[in-house]
Amino acid sequence: MKRFERHTRLDIAIHWGNAALWLLLMLTGLGLIKAEYNPLGGWYPALLRAMFGGGGGLLLAHEILGGLWILCLLLYLGQNPRGAAFFLRQVFAVDLARDVLWMVKKMVLMTLGPKPLKMIGLSTDLPPQGFYNMGQKAFAQAAVAGGFGLALTGLIMVWSQIGLGAESTWLVSWAILLHWIFAGLTFAGLLVHVYMAAVNPEERPGFRSMFTGWVPEDYAEHHHALWHAEVREQLPDERGIVPQRLGDRE
Amino acid sequence: MSDPMNSARQGFDPGRRNFLKAAGLLGAGAAASPRVLRALAPAEAQAASVRGEESSVFSACDMCFNRCGLIARVRGGRVTKLDPNPLFTKSRGMLCARGQAGVAQLYDSDRLKTPLLRQGARGEGKWKRISWDEAIALLSAKLEEIGKKYTRCGMLFSAGADMQSAFVNRFAEVYGSFNVTSHESLCLISGNRAFLDTFGEVPFADVLNSRYVIMAGANRFEALVTPDSMDMVEAMKGGAKLVVLDPRFTKTAAMADEWWPIRPGTDMAFMLALCNVIINEKLYDERWVAEKTFGLPELHEHVSAYTPEWAAQETGIPGPEIARIARELAAAAPASLVYPGRRTSDYENSTQIRRSFAIVNALLGNWDKPGGLLAARQVGVKPVPADAPWYDDNPETRVDAHLVPLMFEEEGSFVLTREAVITGEPYPVKGWFVYKTNPMQTAPDRTRTLEMVKAMEFVCVVDIQMSDTAWMADLVLPAPSYLERKDPCQALQGSSACACVVTREPAVPAMFESRPVFDVLKEVAGRLDLAEHFDFTIEEYRAKQLAALNGAADVLARDGVYYNPSKVYGIYDNMGYKTKSAKIELYNQRYITAGLDPLPVYAPPKSPPKEIADSAFRMVVGRSALVTQSSSTNNALLHELVPTNTLWMHPAAAARLGLKDGEMVRVKSPVGEGTQKLHVTAHIREDTVYTETGFGALSKGLSRINGNGLCIAAVLEGKYDSVTGNAAMHETFVSVTKAGGAA
Amino acid sequence: MKPQLAMVIDSAKCMDCKGCMVACKVANEVPGGHFRNWIKVKEVAEPRPGRGRQGHFQPGACMHCDKPMCVDACPTGATFKDPKDGTVKIDRALCIGCGNCIPACPYGARYRHPVLKVADKCDYCPERRERGLLPACVDTCPTKARVFGDIADPDSEAARLLAANQGRIARVVRADSDTKPNMFYLADTAPADWPHKASITPPMLALTKWALPGVSALIGLAAAGVAAMAARRFLIERDGGGSGHGPGHGTEKEG
Repeated sequence: MKRFERHTRLDIAIHWGNAALWLLLMLTGLGLIKAEYNPLGGWYPALLRAMFGGGGGLLLAHEILGGLWILCLLLYLGQNPRGAAFFLRQVFAVDLARDVLWMVKKMVLMTLGPKPLKMIGLSTDLPPQGFYNMGQKAFAQAAVAGGFGLALTGLIMVWSQIGLGAESTWLVSWAILLHWIFAGLTFAGLLVHVYMAAVNPEERPGFRSMFTGWVPEDYAEHHHALWHAEVREQLPDERGIVPQRLGDRE
Repeated sequence: MSDPMNSARQGFDPGRRNFLKAAGLLGAGAAASPRVLRALAPAEAQAASVRGEESSVFSACDMCFNRCGLIARVRGGRVTKLDPNPLFTKSRGMLCARGQAGVAQLYDSDRLKTPLLRQGARGEGKWKRISWDEAIALLSAKLEEIGKKYTRCGMLFSAGADMQSAFVNRFAEVYGSFNVTSHESLCLISGNRAFLDTFGEVPFADVLNSRYVIMAGANRFEALVTPDSMDMVEAMKGGAKLVVLDPRFTKTAAMADEWWPIRPGTDMAFMLALCNVIINEKLYDERWVAEKTFGLPELHEHVSAYTPEWAAQETGIPGPEIARIARELAAAAPASLVYPGRRTSDYENSTQIRRSFAIVNALLGNWDKPGGLLAARQVGVKPVPADAPWYDDNPETRVDAHLVPLMFEEEGSFVLTREAVITGEPYPVKGWFVYKTNPMQTAPDRTRTLEMVKAMEFVCVVDIQMSDTAWMADLVLPAPSYLERKDPCQALQGSSACACVVTREPAVPAMFESRPVFDVLKEVAGRLDLAEHFDFTIEEYRAKQLAALNGAADVLARDGVYYNPSKVYGIYDNMGYKTKSAKIELYNQRYITAGLDPLPVYAPPKSPPKEIADSAFRMVVGRSALVTQSSSTNNALLHELVPTNTLWMHPAAAARLGLKDGEMVRVKSPVGEGTQKLHVTAHIREDTVYTETGFGALSKGLSRINGNGLCIAAVLEGKYDSVTGNAAMHETFVSVTKAGGAA
Repeated sequence: MKPQLAMVIDSAKCMDCKGCMVACKVANEVPGGHFRNWIKVKEVAEPRPGRGRQGHFQPGACMHCDKPMCVDACPTGATFKDPKDGTVKIDRALCIGCGNCIPACPYGARYRHPVLKVADKCDYCPERRERGLLPACVDTCPTKARVFGDIADPDSEAARLLAANQGRIARVVRADSDTKPNMFYLADTAPADWPHKASITPPMLALTKWALPGVSALIGLAAAGVAAMAARRFLIERDGGGSGHGPGHGTEKEG
């Protein structure tokens, strides 16, 4: 069976690096929300702060992790601008009719099953999808926007500690609110993403590809028909994998 | 009353005692105490400081004249904080804002750092940095030269209220000049004269135990005097009554039980009317007055015309109120008093005005009694006399002698000395050595002081900052601040609180190239063949001072203060008074021979010159608790709280002149002018304006107050008290116009 | 009773000398333009001759309130009330200098430190207390108008002063911003009308009022969705999905 390259090694590295840092940022960030406002309650910030020798240590750790994360993304962008551009184009290219219908049907099918669709006279067929399906796109969009927002508001908060004057605290105040909201939004998306990509058995080949870099042809065909149609005629390389060849798609 | 000796002995740990009393955190306090105790041991102090631990050094504050006992906290070779010495009862264990700001004086970027020699014209601000060797050589040569050319009295020595000023006076004495002035003839000698000539000595006011206090010409809740300021508050908590007479609504007036905006210059009318009521209504202790005072019949006759109704016309205080106050005051006697005050450099008849204060006190029979006026207690610090050489060619006496009848020989009169220097009569004075005093700011009529400086061939100023006087000098020498100095002992009396001794240990070594004036004079003395008069160290000098006080040195090292448990009240019980009649002199016989009124005769204050009567105001000056004249106004911490001085003017007067609050105004007198911000407030009489001392500096070395605000010396006329030669600083009428507008 | 460090102030003894302000400034290296403590002045604008007590001076500082609005306003908990001594503390390491706490204090006790970029205010000089010294302002006060101590400890001078003046203790409180301050004045203190309305900044208000429930709801919804998917996949369709290809897959294949 033909194998199709979905992720380069750099893509894989950045994905898992990003995932790891997000996890740590989330864990440390949650600890920075004081007990009264903490969705986990008081025990969690108390535990985290104790682990880091106080809230200050935790804050510093969160800031270092945040800085590292931003640095990694910038390095990736510098290393692979074309890949990044491809990713963004794919993610933000939404065919309203096809993609929204896919999204709605998929959501209903995954949670309630085919019956509701049949009841209102819709087929359970899903519109074909490109390199990313609409679910992936939606999460990626949330991740990109949320990530950008988190980075920006995070930087404002760091800036507050090293440079901003008292007259600019309004900015910091708003940054806190937005950081919170962005973190919440991305976390909500992340919940679905983790289930869909890692837990849901149907996506196993996709999950595997985040380690190996490739998917088998039947998976590509079934899950990303438009993409498969686009790349199936291409010849595999010496490993037997059809490369992404981003240049060709530009 | 607690025994100060006892409390001193118990108080081995300055920090802890007070804290335990207040906080009740016994555990924490006890845990901390051995560490604090260890840190106090002088031998370990230095080592601890090097290790970055905190050490504590006893000293005495120098931010004003009060000498509050303090503990300097030193860490890493830096003074980080000054705390009051809780064992120091004279200050009631406090440091005021200025005391706390002492750290900013120590580390002020405006400090003088090296000897400086003038290059350009006087006041031009061109200086050349020279070495100490050059400076000492120059100073010695000039002293030699002036002594030869003009006799030794051709040198004038002026030292401020500093714990090393005694060395300047000692040097003047052995060098051979009679011409020594201090700050006192710009401040307090009229009041001292008046009380000395009534009671035979200058008293302390036992405010703490008084039940009724009349305060006129004093602002004790702002111009702090220890322990009087604190004791007044404490006494008032206990029900004592405070009546304040002041043309200005001061903080003292604000807190008083009664405030009367008296017409400036009429305090004597008020006091004479009090005498009138007390005598006419026989409200005094007849036996005591008969036994202890001299001249009651004369006084009785003298005050018969000075009725409350008459005084009302003069003072603006209703007659019945004056009579009531007299009765209340007498009813509380002998635990009642008319507060003597401190700065009495206000009117040309200040001595007689203060005589009237003293006479009321005499009638109250409060002398030497709780709540009254107290005699000086024995402290026991011995003077260290110098065996001064005799100089045959010297003139007979001081340059300012015989101009006023009762000048204090040892203080002189700065204003009169200034005139003598300018005119060269009776003999030339051509050299001036100044130590930590600043007549360019504190003496009225700055133009005259400048003329005086210009008449000098050589002026040397030793100070910690480039004062206006230093700015005009030829040679400027940097002195260390009080926190860098080992000083001689000083005896202090804190009213009924204590009779004590303080001294200073250096908290940190002298900064920059600064050298104590003692070292400078010792070296110069060596070059002038006067070494034998300075053949001691500070330690040896202290030992001589404390010779009669067994163990005092150890107590000083342990507690930072030594108390002499000497008698407080009844010192004169078996003793006559130090006056001609050996009684309290209501009627002063010596005054007749001096050509003075033996009883104070009231003369109404002068009116402004007719041509400017519409826009003229009597100017009064004073200060807040944050200001010690020009020595503190450039302090960074204090400057933040008092950034400039403003001219207080009543809203009705401002409206009449079309002046608005906050705008810049020109303040002009017959001798000078200046500009400052106008503060329109009903807290002053309509005929009077007020401003604070210590601003409008000429010196560019005082970065915060240079050209900032009005210098009182620039506009006040150089008038003086006709009895003592003390400056008279409330005798000037100024006109006020919009700055920059048509004058 | 829990420990509560507090000040009991006899403001009638204050002569507005500002010794406390400068002492505090030096002890705590408070930067220029800012103060951790104050003396409020109430003076009659047009004082009347012959009258008395026409001015009153009122020392103050952070009141270490029982219901500190500044603590509510802090997003991270950098500002907190320490149960060990009842003081309101600022963890400088955790504070990001957002300034939310500053308008929340009706007494204006807080400022943003221009160098450290954190909120700052009176902390009753813990470094001094550790060494057995009183807070700098209390220690230096000429008339000892400020009395400091643990009011829960009946042996402390502060508690004794409170007890001795039962019924005539006043607190400076603004009705709409009563933070239950632990700064007690002996009766007739003035001025009393100076505290401003405690305000929570709009972003902080938005955070607590709707962002907190909103974001929580969103996360809840996402979690519910995942739970529904998992339940459907692993419980309801377990038998039919043995091959690992669910119905979704199947329909796609058809499409």
